[in-house]
Amino acid sequence: MAGSSAVLEDSSILSRLDRGLLKLETFFALISGIAVFMLMVLAVWSVGGRKFFASPLAGYVDWIEAAMPFIAIMGIAYTQRMGGHVRMDILIGQLKGRALWAAELLSVVLILLLMLALTWGAWAHFDRSFDMGAPMWSRDSSIDIGLPIWPSKLVVPVAFAVISLRLCLQIWGYGRALVLGLERPVAVPLVQSAAEQAMAEAEQLDGRD
Amino acid sequence: MDPIEIGLWVSGGMLLMVVLGMRVAFAAAMAGLIGLIWIFWAKKGMEWDQLGWALTVAIKTAGQVPHSKVSSQTLSLIPTFILIGFLAYYAGLTKAIFEAAKRWFAWVPGGLAVSTVFATAGFAAVSGASVATAAVFARIAIPEMLKIGYNKQFAAGVVAAGGTLASLIPPSAILVIYAIIVEQDVGKLLLAGFIPGAFSAVVYAILIIGIAMIWKNVGPPVTGFTWRERFASLPAALPIVAVVVIIIFFVYNPFGDAWGTPTEGGAVGAFIVFCMAVFRGMRLAELKDALLETAKLTVMIFTIIWGVLIYVRFLGFADLPGAFAEWISSLETSPMIILICILLAYAVLGMFMDAIGMLLLTLPVVYPAVMALNGGEFVSAADSAFGMSGPMCAIWFGILVVKMAEFCLITPPIGLNCFVVAGVRPDLSVQDVFRGVMPFFVADAVTIGLLVAFPQIVLWLPSLAG
Repeated sequence: MAGSSAVLEDSSILSRLDRGLLKLETFFALISGIAVFMLMVLAVWSVGGRKFFASPLAGYVDWIEAAMPFIAIMGIAYTQRMGGHVRMDILIGQLKGRALWAAELLSVVLILLLMLALTWGAWAHFDRSFDMGAPMWSRDSSIDIGLPIWPSKLVVPVAFAVISLRLCLQIWGYGRALVLGLERPVAVPLVQSAAEQAMAEAEQLDGRD
Repeated sequence: MDPIEIGLWVSGGMLLMVVLGMRVAFAAAMAGLIGLIWIFWAKKGMEWDQLGWALTVAIKTAGQVPHSKVSSQTLSLIPTFILIGFLAYYAGLTKAIFEAAKRWFAWVPGGLAVSTVFATAGFAAVSGASVATAAVFARIAIPEMLKIGYNKQFAAGVVAAGGTLASLIPPSAILVIYAIIVEQDVGKLLLAGFIPGAFSAVVYAILIIGIAMIWKNVGPPVTGFTWRERFASLPAALPIVAVVVIIIFFVYNPFGDAWGTPTEGGAVGAFIVFCMAVFRGMRLAELKDALLETAKLTVMIFTIIWGVLIYVRFLGFADLPGAFAEWISSLETSPMIILICILLAYAVLGMFMDAIGMLLLTLPVVYPAVMALNGGEFVSAADSAFGMSGPMCAIWFGILVVKMAEFCLITPPIGLNCFVVAGVRPDLSVQDVFRGVMPFFVADAVTIGLLVAFPQIVLWLPSLAG
């Protein structure tokens, strides 16, 4: 159950690209986090408006539905960079050296193929609702206040394109580790044991209580 | 090849990818996509010149799923609950609730341990994070228990077990996920979690008191707090109670109309915790950290959700869940025995897999089978196998599987809570914690048995909500 993992850095081109992409990924994830915060503000505003001023927020549900893809998908590459997508590491955690890097490499190559296909599929989904000639460039709109839907549809292929870039870097990272037989390669999340994860968890919370 | 056979091959392939360590979300999405390609191609007689068509249609079908499935108001509960959790660390709630619990409950035998259980239950509920709660309370509560002569293993066991109370008491993201996957009322599931969660905490407390009364040296009581001190400890811990109460009242108000929707309840809860965090001096950089962590966990969960929903889209074409449900209801064995076997299978699976991944991967196939065992989704209580209507059975089963998933956090060999407690305390080995957690392990098994035998414990509150 890998929740999050360590990513090593050095001065190589790969590591510099990794950190460069991380800036973009962090920016995307932050947009996602800010959208969650706005969701909270919007709901409090809606409840407050309805309960105390008898004026509910118009289009509350439409706004939430438009915000959800930003919240749920924009940070996908950031989570991949941090090794935050869960997996079962009982077998892969036992592997070492080249066998481990080969398994990791195979896994990220498959994920890249999947994400490229889904980027195309998600783009097609966006393309069907986007029309330069239509009002607000939109062929479809939300039910209540008529928000155009294409911006939230566009988020998906954009986020998927960024994770595809991340996966290319990880293929490079694992491929390099496999060829050179590295112990602790840079720019890829390393498998941690349950005890290491626990320590990381504890350190992360240090000073918060 | 007929669709069910394709369904079996693809599902088997997905399990293999998961076991080999592929990220769960992507393994599910890939299985779904390959399955869709295969099934569309099979419809065209597997002719080579039709493969391109099948590929395009499958990719376009799968490509719609992430956007169309996540754009839902109900799903917006998940990020708000997660935000509550991350803000809770900055709101100074951990020490406040432990202090309040200590002043109110420490006078009973094993009092400090009982206080720890109630404090961890409260904080775990609000933070929604079992493992993180265990990590935090290992640092706050264990030193205090050791100071007054508690057995080291016992103190560690209390904290590791207390952390598991996160997923039932509202707000619970995992119950929201369950509700969405099985298409049941989110509000009722959140309500249903409250009594079993509180019940588990009370069972732990009774167990501790019993142990402390039999072995006098295990956990001496702590006395001497005045009523003034007790009441003085309450305001700082109030946001925890407020969040739980608000979410319940937004779903079901025993004195009148519900206050709003669960989503609004979650948001108001988050706002209260946010105000508390700001009041306690949370800085902008800390807010940024909390938002990034919220984004990371939210995206992790949603990626599994849409990944699994691509797989579910394929399953719909393959009709595997229908075939599995038909097979399981044709068995001669009593439905209750089958249900218990399913729960035991979850206990085993949960030892190796994260709860959310486990539920999302298995429910699309297992849930229809359980409903079929009870007599179908729309069966009345009188005609059902488990003595409850279809929707009630869905709620009951949800609470049982979530409790199983939590139970797995303290079962050897990789009960993560035990590793975390041992990780935080260098003086404790993992074996020490597993030994200390043993009584709670037994208590949880008894609790699950009671929830199975007396479904009313789960269903009473949601049945009041109509």
